[in-house]
Amino acid sequence: MKEQQSIKPPRWSYRFLTFFCKEEFLEEISGDLEEIYQVNCQTHGKRRANWRYAWNVLRFFKWSNIKKTTRFNSNIVTMTRNNFKIAARVLWRQKVNTLLNVTGISIGIACFLLISLYVKREVSFDKFHEKGDRIYRTWTLEDYGGDQQFFYTNSPLPLEKALEDNIPDIEMAVQYNRNNFLVGEEGARINEPIAIASPEFFEMFSFPIVNGNQEKPLADRTSIVISEAYATKYFGSKMPIGEPISVQINGENRVFNVSAIMQDLPKNTGFSFDMMISNKNDDILYRKEALQAWFNVSPETFVLIRENSTLAATEEKLPAMVKTALGDRVEEGEYTLGLQPLTDIHLNPEFPLGNMPVGNPKYVYVLGAIGLLVLLIACINYTTLSMGQSMKRAKEVGVRKVVGAQKSGLVWQYLSESVLITFIAMVIGLVVAYLLLPLFNNLANTDLVMPFDFESLWVYLVMALGIGLATGAYPALVLSSLKLTNVLRGGSSSMGGKNVLRKSLLVFQLLLTVFLISSTLIMKKQLNFIQNEDLGFNRDAMVSVVLYPAPEAQGLGDNFTSGFKNGQLLKTKLESNPDVSDVAMGSHIFGANGWMKVGFNDNNDAFKQFNLLVVDPYYISSFGIQMKEGRDFDPALDLDKRESIILNQAAVDYFGLTDPIGKQLPGQDFGNNTIIGITEDFNFESLHSEVRPLVITQNDQTIFSGINDISINDSPTPKLVFKYTGTSLLEVKSILDKAWASTFPNEELRFDFVDEKLRLMYQDEARVNKIVGIATVLSVLIASIGLLGLTILIVNTKVKEIGIRKILGASPLKIFAMLFNDFSWQLIIAIVLSVPLTWYLMSNWLKDFAYQISIGADMFVLSAALAFGLTTLVISYHAIRAAKSNPVKALRAE
Amino acid sequence: MKGTYLGEFEELVLLTVGALYPEAYGVGIMDDIAKETGRSVNISAIHSALRRLDEKGFVTSEMGGPTNERGGRRKRIFELTAFGKKALDEVQEQRMSLYNRIPNISFGS
Repeated sequence: MKEQQSIKPPRWSYRFLTFFCKEEFLEEISGDLEEIYQVNCQTHGKRRANWRYAWNVLRFFKWSNIKKTTRFNSNIVTMTRNNFKIAARVLWRQKVNTLLNVTGISIGIACFLLISLYVKREVSFDKFHEKGDRIYRTWTLEDYGGDQQFFYTNSPLPLEKALEDNIPDIEMAVQYNRNNFLVGEEGARINEPIAIASPEFFEMFSFPIVNGNQEKPLADRTSIVISEAYATKYFGSKMPIGEPISVQINGENRVFNVSAIMQDLPKNTGFSFDMMISNKNDDILYRKEALQAWFNVSPETFVLIRENSTLAATEEKLPAMVKTALGDRVEEGEYTLGLQPLTDIHLNPEFPLGNMPVGNPKYVYVLGAIGLLVLLIACINYTTLSMGQSMKRAKEVGVRKVVGAQKSGLVWQYLSESVLITFIAMVIGLVVAYLLLPLFNNLANTDLVMPFDFESLWVYLVMALGIGLATGAYPALVLSSLKLTNVLRGGSSSMGGKNVLRKSLLVFQLLLTVFLISSTLIMKKQLNFIQNEDLGFNRDAMVSVVLYPAPEAQGLGDNFTSGFKNGQLLKTKLESNPDVSDVAMGSHIFGANGWMKVGFNDNNDAFKQFNLLVVDPYYISSFGIQMKEGRDFDPALDLDKRESIILNQAAVDYFGLTDPIGKQLPGQDFGNNTIIGITEDFNFESLHSEVRPLVITQNDQTIFSGINDISINDSPTPKLVFKYTGTSLLEVKSILDKAWASTFPNEELRFDFVDEKLRLMYQDEARVNKIVGIATVLSVLIASIGLLGLTILIVNTKVKEIGIRKILGASPLKIFAMLFNDFSWQLIIAIVLSVPLTWYLMSNWLKDFAYQISIGADMFVLSAALAFGLTTLVISYHAIRAAKSNPVKALRAE
Repeated sequence: MKGTYLGEFEELVLLTVGALYPEAYGVGIMDDIAKETGRSVNISAIHSALRRLDEKGFVTSEMGGPTNERGGRRKRIFELTAFGKKALDEVQEQRMSLYNRIPNISFGS
């Protein structure tokens, strides 16, 4: 018997039973179940018995057995239920008012939700890795004094091993790099970015492997991990594990075998790859010297710090490691290695860009603030409206008090009203946000999804409750503390004093709205300015095509020569088309930041840096770049091909050259070079920065021989540009396709419109402008709803007054003016107050641009006019109706 | 009279309660039904039926003594009431009278 007793039915199941079951039935039910359980244990074994027990418990889970608990049957619950019932009746009775309130708050909530989705995406970057709090990315600061400072988050190739070997605090180090390769068989090759990472990559980062080798997805050098999306792209419904994929590396076709399939990367990660190979292939990707070099930078290195260690303890050991690795090659303090938390990367623009995209934290905060502002406007709206309404309800309060209502009871009564309203608004807001999400994504160029999991439902619930309490608190307090005698004696005089607060809330709300209007206008103006600004070159209808250097080309110099040579073939084909003119080639084309930048020590041994552009002789004329002095390259002159260089004005100023034509670059080791011309400054990078010194050459070797530093962020693969003079832009593709297919039949054609690329440079700003624009439209809508509600209210309370005035001979215009007057003052105050606020915040925003508009008075005048126009429009309908109404109707009824 | 109608399953349970007197309780009834008719019934169905019968006044119940195999819990012992017995009799009678009216021809082929 004792032994039998020791077998107990599953606890969680029993607990559930005791949780839901009525006390009076519990004993017999649990007894019967226990008895059956014991029998089942004997005959079917414990496992089956457990299952059956759970199943039986579930079968008892029906209405007649469930506790109708008395726990909820208290006074509070009954009162709350009653409160909500009355609230629902009141809301139903004042249909217009309720409609306005619900609409206002719904819009506010929808707007807030959409913006918060965006903000949440931005701040949640790479926060989902299980070991994320222990992962850091290395950065390096080389400081040789003066201008010679290099700060980068890419790292040398030997760093990974050095860190793992020398620093016990580091559990593992992982390299991550991305490169473009031609993937596929001859004839159908696609240019794809492929990530190159250490085999432990998937141990450090939480990217789930769904199929294939889960333990060691990158086990050997021929392994390739692909995403689910790419599994479908390359293999369709076929099982891809073990299938070959050939990748062209340094001119040679290498075959990789799919070893694992990973889940498609989430949207909120800085990593971006659909294919990954092991960095064991580094020896075929890089030259031998690069594998050893400590000053060559390419991949990012991430480290995982041991659980029992700290960041400080690890960083402390870095200098010693640098010393052993570099030895005498650097002086103390010249080469610093540091660690940046993984989660910090996405929103910290103070660290230089590596492979991971970096957002502007300012924009994230600004947008978050704007989302909150719109919600705030909606809340204020409700508060002002319900305070206005409270005059009507003073009598109700009086009667309730006479019957014996407590103040706290009244407060809860009114709070339930606002909570009810916000809950309804929340549901509508969620639906609206859900429906508007595709539109929002389209406008703001994002790809957000709305979560509907358990957690977010809680958030929505709490949010609705919070907003309800916040908006209802003040009106509830005011209403409940009305003096009984004042109220019942009649006359709304008791409400007079409270108008100050109501009016200031309205002013505040209008202020925020006007602020949003003017900000949108100013941002729009700046963006228009940037996009239409004369950049110093002709960008209309210019098309750029990426050229292909021969696969065996090694190094930058070879790349240029071979690319230009291939470009020449394409050029001949294209030039036969009458719609194509001004064909030219160059290492960089406008519309991309990070042109090749080189450094050298000048004659005074000062370190100088400039951007380098390698071109063919037609580049400058094709883009219509103005020469300030000297001449452009002459295609007929061989000398120009060898040693002529052209500087921009900024370079002349930077090098401190006077009368530069015919002179040389101020460095020792450059090859023979002669400055033949100076161009006007043109903005070859984005307008966030001033024009930097630029040297244009046809012969890269003259420059390369004299430099000691180079950094490139925009691919220097040669590109061909031409001007399309035809009418249909669609035509461009077919012209190119034809020329391309006969020149490079095996390569993928990639081309862009230069003006489109230029526009994309300000994508971030354009997105913020769009989101702020949406927020503005919505807040204007909310404000209009609020004004409409207030007008109705005031007109209703002043029906008699208007009637008497009309009888005494007031014209409809006078009456309209009287009604309008009330609002116009508040609006004027709001507009005046908004000016300094807008000016301050917007000049801060404009500081990000090297070239900016001035915030003129015109912007404010425009937004004031807009605000006034809208207010008039909103007020008009009801005010005019009241002004025109027959006074007899107003006065007859008593 | 609505509410005192005896369903097929209820009738079965009620009969079993009578048959098992004085030891009729949930699991016992379930086992007996299984034995007699070969129907495997879930215990929760027995409980629901017993409760309905109780509401209609066909059975009464009281708690028995604690037992070991039930983890020390008591059984609820059910008993047929006079009203319940009468209901069973009526059903039986109706059945018999209808049964007796079946003419032999209906079996004809």
